[in-house]
Amino acid sequence: MIPFRFARRLEVDSRRSNTYRILGAIAGLILAGLLLLITSRNPFRLFGQSMEAIFGSQRGIEGVLVQSIPILMCAIGVALSLRMKIWNIGSDGQFLMGAFAAVGIGTKLDIPHWLLIILMALIAAAAGALWILVPALARAYWGVNEIITTLLLNFVALQLVLWASLGFWRDRETQVTQSTESVKAVLPRLPGLDSVSIAFIVPIVLAVVLFLVFRSTRLGYEIDMIGGNANAASFAGINVRRRIVGVMLVTGAIAGLGGMLQLTGAPGAQALSGGFSNKFGLSGFIVAALAGASFIGVVVAGLFISAMFYAGIALQTKGLSVYIIFGIYGVVLSGIAVGEMLARFRMVRRSEATSTQGAAA
Amino acid sequence: MGETTNLAVEAKGISKSFGGALALDNVSLDLRKGEVHALLGENGAGKSTLSNVLAGLYRADSGTVLVDGEEREFHSPSQAIAAGIGMVHQHFRLVLPMTVAENLHLGSPDTPAVVSQKKLVASARRIMDEIGLEVDPTAKVWQLSVGEQQRVEILRVLARGARVLILDEPTAVLTAQEAKELFAVIRQLVAGGRTVVFISHKLNEVIEISDRITVLRGGKHVITRDTAGATPRELARLMTGEELENKVEHNTSAGAPVLALSEVVARNHRGIVALHGVNLTVNAGEILGIAGVSGNGQTELAEVITGLRHPQSGSISINGTDVTRGSTRQIAALGVGHIPEDRLVFGMAGSASVRDNAILRHYRTTELSSGLRLRRSAIIDFAKRLVAAGRVQTRSINMPAGQMSGGNQQRLVARRESMIADRLLVAAHPTRGLDVLATKEVQSAIVERRDTGCAVLMISDDLDEVMLMSDRIAVMYEGQIMGVFNRSEFDRERIGLMMGGQGAEVHQ
Repeated sequence: MIPFRFARRLEVDSRRSNTYRILGAIAGLILAGLLLLITSRNPFRLFGQSMEAIFGSQRGIEGVLVQSIPILMCAIGVALSLRMKIWNIGSDGQFLMGAFAAVGIGTKLDIPHWLLIILMALIAAAAGALWILVPALARAYWGVNEIITTLLLNFVALQLVLWASLGFWRDRETQVTQSTESVKAVLPRLPGLDSVSIAFIVPIVLAVVLFLVFRSTRLGYEIDMIGGNANAASFAGINVRRRIVGVMLVTGAIAGLGGMLQLTGAPGAQALSGGFSNKFGLSGFIVAALAGASFIGVVVAGLFISAMFYAGIALQTKGLSVYIIFGIYGVVLSGIAVGEMLARFRMVRRSEATSTQGAAA
Repeated sequence: MGETTNLAVEAKGISKSFGGALALDNVSLDLRKGEVHALLGENGAGKSTLSNVLAGLYRADSGTVLVDGEEREFHSPSQAIAAGIGMVHQHFRLVLPMTVAENLHLGSPDTPAVVSQKKLVASARRIMDEIGLEVDPTAKVWQLSVGEQQRVEILRVLARGARVLILDEPTAVLTAQEAKELFAVIRQLVAGGRTVVFISHKLNEVIEISDRITVLRGGKHVITRDTAGATPRELARLMTGEELENKVEHNTSAGAPVLALSEVVARNHRGIVALHGVNLTVNAGEILGIAGVSGNGQTELAEVITGLRHPQSGSISINGTDVTRGSTRQIAALGVGHIPEDRLVFGMAGSASVRDNAILRHYRTTELSSGLRLRRSAIIDFAKRLVAAGRVQTRSINMPAGQMSGGNQQRLVARRESMIADRLLVAAHPTRGLDVLATKEVQSAIVERRDTGCAVLMISDDLDEVMLMSDRIAVMYEGQIMGVFNRSEFDRERIGLMMGGQGAEVHQ
């Protein structure tokens, strides 16, 4: 018999948890390297090429940042709802609807650009919120599982966007046949950077604000208690239904705003098409889950996953098959998830192990 | 030789330590065939540890276990059960969406590889006939009452051939009626030559059901004696090691009415009328006890008073303020505390920290928050004070509250609710599942509240507790108040009859 076994820790501090996540990511990379090795590829060279692609030039670093904006916006929304144990799988749809609404006015209105930007941001946030309104009400008042409703609305949003870009809002001027016209206003770049717009500030500020809300406000405490036990929260006089609807609308609004930021900030993304969201919602979901719904963690994990995707694209241009790259993503992300789990346990000698069980029983 | 054959199990000199702390210190126990043997002790006395050693869940650090005179060592529960020792845990291990027959066969080595529902049901019927216990084998487990589920657990253990059945606090989850039925089952099992180990800290039950009693305290064996002639007082002294004064000062001159219910009608969560026109008054500085068998409207009564449920008709007022349709927050703001019946469902969030649970009723106060901001250091101070005042034993206030023992969870909730109860405290089964000392503590906290002039409504299905604590008693039966007694008129027999729906003039 193995002389050691795992026993659950009573308390897990975030420091330990983060260390284990990082160790998990490293273990995942090593494992991925071994897999590359046995398929007779040189993992060290590929790793070097990845690092070179990301950190070798300003272009690489900027590419990672640009890609991280939509992922972070979706991830922050998901993380917010996860604090309440609500699973918003629909951030892709809310993201698309935000962009859809922003295109609606951004291609039509002739007003000063700064005003147009503000209007687009507002309408995009409203559209994202609207897209989750029905799931939110259904969840709060009739207990309808939000996983199904938010997930299914993604497909509706995608069809709507396809219809717009192939049909009623199709760009008839240029030769492009599968997208809308480009919006008239774009966000200015961050000083000294070529491709990163000021949109990058938005998720960072949001994450910090939400971090503070949950650290030291009554609202954050109430949301956490609803996530812990909605019955107990309601017992203590918290209006659980109103909070559920409110939080879900805000998560939708954040994702919707993300769509507008992508539309007005990302290079070459000023028109809406079927491929507008590159599974940002899904990536955001992974980020939020890996970060354990901690907002600072979301930023770190979001930048990490974005860098990993960027490296993947670079390796693809070097001839590595896309399937292998997806495999590597999977191994690395699983490594982080396993590390997060391991942080909750400690190894103990077998005779002692039964004891912790006993103490808990 | 004659004596050994009479013994089903003999445990000698069992010791077990957990991370340096000695949970069992050289404890011996012998179980005779055909007896009900009660294991009595406070929480943490070692009852569960000892039975887990016997049932193969833990391995003892030292000591031997003899089954039918033969030394055995168990590495797993299935080995123990193969040797004839099985245990039914406090929390059932049943698969709720599956049928009784499926649950009985789950994981059994005797279950054939290819099965059909028909075969399983037939085999389940056979098992039940053999043992003499009946549960509908085709029913899904979630449809069964708690008592029936427990019966399935017992069947499952006995079906594997156990001759020694360990029941870990079996009555903690049962209604009084179900407990009675369980006792009948236990008597039937021992009549058939089996041995039942009955773990409890309820003294009256132990005296009623057992043939012999072993008392453990702090991991040590205190005494093993025949039940005949044992008194609750003596057993309590053996369990706790101290003479407990089981006396409550009473108050005969109560103050002005605080809580008044008039013709309150309310439905339960299934939509069935559970309160049929309840009239009730609780005065400042008195404890009004609600006596009654569980399920006669007590839960709904506590809920309508505290705003968790709204009545169909009738009116409720607290200190003259109408709260018939008030929200939980409005009612709490009037100085009403509520120790809920099920602390895990309503009282606290198990995954949240002790600190966050401690401030659940106070986080909106100016002491703990200014505007929208929470005062972090004030919160830590507050939680530490509450934990100390409520004698909650926890390693840290940052630990998830659900990791504490049930007794400590209850202490936390009881203290938190007492703190906001300036006018009225609604205490639903405040000592359910607590051991003797913790019960004493919670009871004296309630009495203290009353002595400060707070009105207390105490619901309990333990008539002894109601008689001990109450200044007045109202008897509830089928959603109605059958009668109200002043302390001088307390009559156990009449109250008992009314609890069964007899001998009552419906109280107006």
